[in-house]
Formats: sequence, C-alpha cells, structure tokens
Amino acid sequence: MGGTGAQWMLGVRAPDRSRAILVVTVDGELAVAVRDAVPRGMAVVRDARSDDAAEIADACLPWPWMVVGSAVTVTPALAIVLRERPVLTFWLGAAPDGLPGHARCFDRPAALLDSIQRACTANVGGMRLAPGSGVELGDGTLLRGATLESLVASYPGGFALPTRAFRSVSQALERHDAGWAAKRDGDARMTLVRSRAVAPR
Amino acid sequence: MRANPEVLILEDDAETLDELQTHFTRKRFHPLGARSASRALSLLEHNRYSSRPVLAIIDWDLGKAPDRSASSGDVLSRLARELRECPVIVYSQNIDAFNVRSQIQRSHPRALLHDKRDGDASLLERIDRMLDRTVGDLRIHDGTVVVHVPTLDQHHHREAIRLVVHHPDIVTFHSDTATKAVRRFGEWLQSHHSAVRLVSHGNRKYRLNVTVAEDATPDIES
Repeated sequence: MGGTGAQWMLGVRAPDRSRAILVVTVDGELAVAVRDAVPRGMAVVRDARSDDAAEIADACLPWPWMVVGSAVTVTPALAIVLRERPVLTFWLGAAPDGLPGHARCFDRPAALLDSIQRACTANVGGMRLAPGSGVELGDGTLLRGATLESLVASYPGGFALPTRAFRSVSQALERHDAGWAAKRDGDARMTLVRSRAVAPR
Repeated sequence: MRANPEVLILEDDAETLDELQTHFTRKRFHPLGARSASRALSLLEHNRYSSRPVLAIIDWDLGKAPDRSASSGDVLSRLARELRECPVIVYSQNIDAFNVRSQIQRSHPRALLHDKRDGDASLLERIDRMLDRTVGDLRIHDGTVVVHVPTLDQHHHREAIRLVVHHPDIVTFHSDTATKAVRRFGEWLQSHHSAVRLVSHGNRKYRLNVTVAEDATPDIES
C-alpha cells in the first residue's frame, strides 16, 4: 500500500500560500468529509493530527484561513496561531481549551460542513473569495490579503483581535472605493461594516 | 516553441502501464512510465531541471511493483513538495475507505481521486476530459497547443497548456523562463481579445479567469 514511511516529508507539510483549511482530528475522517464539501479550487484541505497540527499550520502561509477540529486537544503552539490571527475556527463537538472566543462549535457534522460551504461562497456586498487566494471586489478587482479573506468569510461575525491587525484591510478597501471597512462591532469584534451606501454596480 | 508535455504514470501492472503510455503517446504527450515508486522518483529527479510533467497518474496500490523500496505515498509527497502545479490523479480499488483517502491527502493535499473499480476506460475518459479541455474560447488540441477557437490561432508553449489544464486553479511557476512564457501567453490572450484573462496572484502564481476582468495587485498586507 502507498503510505509514506517518512512523516517529515509528507506533502501536507509543504509550505503553500494558497487558502488553507487545516482539519485536526484523530483519524482523518472529518478531513475527507470537509474536502468533499469545499467547492473546487476554493481552498486546500490539510489533514492534520494533534501532534503535527502546529507544524502544518506553520506551512499554511501566511496562516491557515480556517481551522476545523474534532475530539482533539489544541496544542499551545496551535492555540497561539488561533489567538493571534484572524483564523475561522470551527469545531465539531465540545470545545477544548485554547480555542478563541470567535470559535463556532457544532453538534452535527452536517451543520459544520454546511457552514464551511457558506464560508467558501460568502458574498459581502459583492466581495467574494477568489479561487485559491484573494478577494474579488464587485467591480472584478482582485485584492490579495489573508485578513480580508477571513473577514469576508466570517461576515457578519468577526474576530476579537487588535484594530491594528485590520488597518491595511480598511486602507485597501478605501483605496478601491469598496464602500466597506473593518470596524469593531457591538461584541467588540472586528468585522466588515458599510462605510457608505454604495450604488448597485 | 513546441515541446510535447510530459505525463508521469506510476502503474505496477505492465499491461495497464503499456495501455496508458500508448494512450498518451497517441495524444502527443510524452509519457514517463514507471512500474515502481522508486523508478518514478528517479524519473522525477532526472527530469527536474529539463521539464515538469503537466499531469501525473498514480496507482496507489503497488502490490505488483518489481521494487518496493519506495511507496506511492513517497511519490505523491515528492510531487506535492516539488511539483505542486502538476495535477495528480490517484486511483485505487479502496478509494472509498476514508483511511486510504486520508493517507493520500496527507501525502498530496491536492490529489484528485479515482475509483479503480470503474475500470481503465473510466480513468482514460477522465484524463481526456482534463487534457482536452475547453476554457472559455480556448481549447487544448493534441496536448501540445492551445487554440483560440474564434480565430483558430495557436499558442504552443507548455506553460499555457498547464494553465488551461489547471483552470480554475492557481498554478505556481518555478523559473523566470516559465514566468516569461506565461506573460507572453497573457499578452497573446489580450491581442486575440480572448474571453479568458491571465490573473496574477503574485509570487509567480497565475490562473486563468473566464468571466471577470481583474487587476493584479500586491498583497494588501505586504
């Protein structure tokens, strides 16, 4: 059979700048289901175990767009990534220690997979995730940036992170006259809000 | 420049390997055939600087391989690490088993899966669908040229074929020569008023887009 003996050289550990969904489980079954749920070309699913999740997260450049997990602990190294970066965090079953406040927990796999699909196909005022990486604005302009991808996919939710982490997003949106900005909402989370009314294009 | 693109084939059954190689030769591709994973790794090593296959077909189960010093997982991992832009089809009798799929995905997260129980004809059909692709007003002909259908003009570079085969996915190019070829292809598309546009994602990453006009912009966080 085909399994590789050298765990260190597994392809899943190779650095890559494409949008990545890191799925951390005991046996990989959920990762298989997530891969089937993600529209083609939108994101690469990286199938991780607890013991290599942090290392694989490091290989997702600049950071994983989404982390999905079930029945595993969150190692301190992975918890740092989840706490300091705008990473969509979806969990099946009880949440372990170390998940950020914006993590969403699901009782059923179907609900989890549905939310992943919705994140992949999110449309915020004409802004959509482009295949592979970046965000397409309503006028077809492509903006590259992992933070904007996370904000679009989590809308109307957001991230309890410092404002400075979102400054470049607001500047880019203003530069392109997108009519949206990253601001703190009533739950003290950074999210996308309309900066002005935009005429339909 | 006209060069027949390579296709890597790892198949332990001699008869099936011969059938696949014949199929690709007929389509004007240059098959790099191997019956063992170690031979496939050696082919990749020897072709490392001269060419990069536009497609890899990998049999996951190598029970009949003459040499078992390496596994199909090793070949997939190598492809994932060093030839990420090469589309890979992995086929197995046990493709439904989640543990097999998980092993394949950990070896190569982008690998496409195919059920060997559907027969060789089904695999060849799928390959043909990938290689004889039509994207917008472009079509691959004989594996060696991209044809702009409205004018029947042809573009011959293998990197153009790679982009069309890979659509809508992003392709990373690994040399200045390849990147220049891609840009020339982008200019060729513009000069033909093609419905297909070349989109730059920076860092030598490109993809084709059919409907939406996009501007390449630097990463807003860089």
